[in-house]
Amino acid sequence: MKKLNQSFILIGFIVLFICKGINVLAQETKNDLLLNLSYFNNNNSYIYLKAIAKTKIDGKFQLVKDVTISFYITKDSAGNLLGTTVTNDKGEAVLLIPATSKNTWSKSVKQSFVAVSTANKQFDETKANTDITKAKLQIDTAENKMITVKVLELKDTSWVAVKGVELKVAVKRMDADLGVSETQTYTTDSTGTINAEFKRDGLPGDSKGNLILVAKVEDNDQYGNLSVEKSVPWGAIPSYQTNFFKRTLFARRGQSPLWLELLAYSIIVAVWAVLIYLILQLNKIKKLGRATAL
Amino acid sequence: MENSAKQKVIEDLLPQKFGKQGKIWVGILIFFCVIGLIAYIRQLSKGLQVTAMRDYASWGIYISNFVFFVAISLVGSLITAVLRLTDVHWSTPLTRIAEIIAVSAITFASIIIIVDMGRPDRFYNLFIHGRLQSPIVWDVIVITTYFFISLLLLYFPLLPDLQIMLRFKETTHKGLYKLYHFLGSFWKNTAGQIRISEKAITILSITIIPVAFAIHTVTSWLFATTYRPGWDSTNFGAYFISGAFLVGAGAVLVAMYVFRQHYKLEKYITEDHFDKMGKIVVMLALLYLYFNVNEFLVPAFKMKKPEEEHLRGLFTGEFAPVFWFAVSMAMFAPILILIFKKGRKPLPAFIAGLMVVIGSWFKRYLIVTPTLLHPFLPMQDVPASYRHYFPTWEEWAITIGSLAGALLIITFFARIFPIIPIQETITETEQHEKA
Repeated sequence: MKKLNQSFILIGFIVLFICKGINVLAQETKNDLLLNLSYFNNNNSYIYLKAIAKTKIDGKFQLVKDVTISFYITKDSAGNLLGTTVTNDKGEAVLLIPATSKNTWSKSVKQSFVAVSTANKQFDETKANTDITKAKLQIDTAENKMITVKVLELKDTSWVAVKGVELKVAVKRMDADLGVSETQTYTTDSTGTINAEFKRDGLPGDSKGNLILVAKVEDNDQYGNLSVEKSVPWGAIPSYQTNFFKRTLFARRGQSPLWLELLAYSIIVAVWAVLIYLILQLNKIKKLGRATAL
Repeated sequence: MENSAKQKVIEDLLPQKFGKQGKIWVGILIFFCVIGLIAYIRQLSKGLQVTAMRDYASWGIYISNFVFFVAISLVGSLITAVLRLTDVHWSTPLTRIAEIIAVSAITFASIIIIVDMGRPDRFYNLFIHGRLQSPIVWDVIVITTYFFISLLLLYFPLLPDLQIMLRFKETTHKGLYKLYHFLGSFWKNTAGQIRISEKAITILSITIIPVAFAIHTVTSWLFATTYRPGWDSTNFGAYFISGAFLVGAGAVLVAMYVFRQHYKLEKYITEDHFDKMGKIVVMLALLYLYFNVNEFLVPAFKMKKPEEEHLRGLFTGEFAPVFWFAVSMAMFAPILILIFKKGRKPLPAFIAGLMVVIGSWFKRYLIVTPTLLHPFLPMQDVPASYRHYFPTWEEWAITIGSLAGALLIITFFARIFPIIPIQETITETEQHEKA
């Protein structure tokens, strides 16, 4: 019986230990980090990589900040490290491809990039990669407000026109881009070209009426994100009008609306005229009093 | 009316020297005024940091007190003008009490608004750079106008009484006699003078009503023209005016009782006066209650988020004890007391009047401060002191000092001038006898 009791106590301890172990494991369970890597070539001069870190919490994707991301070219080995950066509040980590990696970059018309997140208390190390073929956009405009955009791909040492690439042509605005016409996207023909007509007449430009046209290839499996910009004098010159010197309800002193001034002053004058009249009456009472005394 | 009876009225109503009680009362009031002055000197030297006002609650008890003073000053127009124009004669003994309350209150309303300024030395900028579009400028204009009208309305009916007082040269202090002489020696009680004076009083009675309505409507617009929970209301002008009439009438009840008891004026301020004033207070309390229901029910029905926070703060939250105290004191309890005939006897009516005044002061505090502590944007990264407001001793001292100052004006006025119009009382008695 004593032995049986000892066995029960032992089993109890084992169960408790296992439960505690499971509990510890549960506490240390890490979330999965989802890493997305994109390649950007803006204006054929500004080339960078962008990694976005996300995780799924309670069934919803949430952006993750403060994750250290290392970017590599070709493969994730120490010699191929382009640089390291940390994700911001939007979960984004951006790295300009440094000039020091020019030799590696020039070796091939195709390139692979790898982003590796550093493991921390919340997440394990995570990798993402993207492969691109070097390409560029060319934009040109004609007097009749026609826009021509050409997509060129690097083959060996020469640039070759590419057919069937989908792209957008828009005007840069403050918060987002506005398409140059109702057509959302254009696809390059056999000469690698698209023609778009500018149909946004009267759109306010800068102080000289200049607009910035932008042609974009977005999230292309082969070329990544390409964009090119061109300034054109097709916008309307905005005329800045100020109400500062006009008579308004919110104007400065002396610039209040006339109707308000007339109304207010006529009320004040009317009431004070009554008061002055009454003071004169008081004077009259005084005079009457003096006359009676005499 | 026989000469002896006239003489008795004059003797009864002539101003009396301070007795022991009067001196103690004046001493207490001066003490509070001095403490308030010391606190204000501290505020002037150290700045508004000595107050509990911060970024959010930038209007504290000074502005509450200002609204209270403006409100109480409206009683002058109610008792003097409205009742006079409607040919109600029973209120004659109360007109001067109402007018002096109005003058003292409006004087301290002007003073307290300067106290609220961090740099009073820059007050002149309001006149140099003030914008006509600003309700603050309207308030300055209308307060000044109301002050002068109230002074004239106090002065014109005083002229015949000054002439009566000048008859008592031997028994009058030399300085006071000079004052009476300066103010009223030209009054000879001629038919021409009486005619002009009566005409002037009628004109003043007509003029003061729109100006009185304007003064409190404009004060309400200081709040209502601002888009904030609790203030964003088209009802605010009427809400303020009804509340102002109530607190003014309550103050008259209190003053009636105090003067009646202290100067033994039972013959002139009768139980009938308390009965009638009591009924007026009940009517005004019900009217104010109606506007309160409007003011809270409509936003509570819609329950927009910022309004919800404000209303919950008042009804069940941080301000609930003060809110229910104010509402009970200013409206529910006085109605319950004064609705019964026994409640309109002098003592209970005095208590009810006192409750109205105290409750109304706290009601003004609730109009001003809780709204400021419930801004539309959430308070973030601010010190804990910004989230709550409780006045510092300097604010209390200045506020109590200003209330004492207003009472001091009324007290000195009653010492210098007859608090019940002598000539009007005689004339009305004669008319009553003839009838």
